[in-house]
Amino acid sequence: MAKLTPRMKNWLEGLGAHIGTATKKGFPTTIVVESAKVEGDNMVKFQLSNAQVEQIKQNISENPQVAIGPAGLGCIRAAYQFKGIAKLEGNILEVEVREIYCTKPGPEAALRLDTLPYENIIKFESTRWRDTGPPK
Amino acid sequence: MKLTDEMKDALMIIGAGGAVVHLTTCSADGKPNTVGERFVAVWKDEYILIADMFAQKTKKNLMENPIGVITIAHPVKGRTWAFRGPTTIFQEGLPPDFEFQGANAKDVLAEWGNWAEKEPPSEVPPDIRPPRLVQRGVIFMKVDEIYSYKADEAGRKIL
Repeated sequence: MAKLTPRMKNWLEGLGAHIGTATKKGFPTTIVVESAKVEGDNMVKFQLSNAQVEQIKQNISENPQVAIGPAGLGCIRAAYQFKGIAKLEGNILEVEVREIYCTKPGPEAALRLDTLPYENIIKFESTRWRDTGPPK
Repeated sequence: MKLTDEMKDALMIIGAGGAVVHLTTCSADGKPNTVGERFVAVWKDEYILIADMFAQKTKKNLMENPIGVITIAHPVKGRTWAFRGPTTIFQEGLPPDFEFQGANAKDVLAEWGNWAEKEPPSEVPPDIRPPRLVQRGVIFMKVDEIYSYKADEAGRKIL
């Protein structure tokens, strides 16, 4: 099971995310949410506007697979991608993260992190980045 | 569809750190992939280019489902735009007359096939700068649709 690190949590909760959704035939739609709440090891919740719910509810209904990239400067400073299964509960989009990837440009792009032992993910982060979250 | 001057300026901030975007692609059976991209440019007013630096899943997706969405991540400053349209990757070795959505791959690669030379990433902080820019090609989108991703009007068509 995927387990988010404190650094991942800090970036998602601090700046939100770009959330990729798609129809079951692969027509993509991306929404952007400015904050998030991480609960437990791998649950990420986003508060959506009514317009955002309208934009993606059909996609989530027919195809609950989503991809999440940290927003703002997290786009490059927190080079992660989270993939999971989403459901809408009213205006809350709940995503159970099942896969975590490094998206740092170069030879480590697409490296899967959630299959590593948790302590190795922490070690990987500490050797690739200096921060533990977005600037205050 | 032609991008406005404001959109072109937002996507190409030469020498000032550049725009940072997310590119969403999708497998043919509906699994999305959303990744941050740093090297972005505009081509002939209606196409958006991104340097392909080992975008492995993106390439796989585009080979089976050639469509993408680009969303501006930083700096946003009210530029809450999502660009969607047919997307592919141009790489060296394609036939010289290879075209996609009215653009010739050879022409695009001649201008943007060596991003490091054309726009050296000197402004990228050392801790996130790739040790060496290894570019495999150019991700290439013909913009067909632009919608707002601003929360209270998400999905509203802009162009």
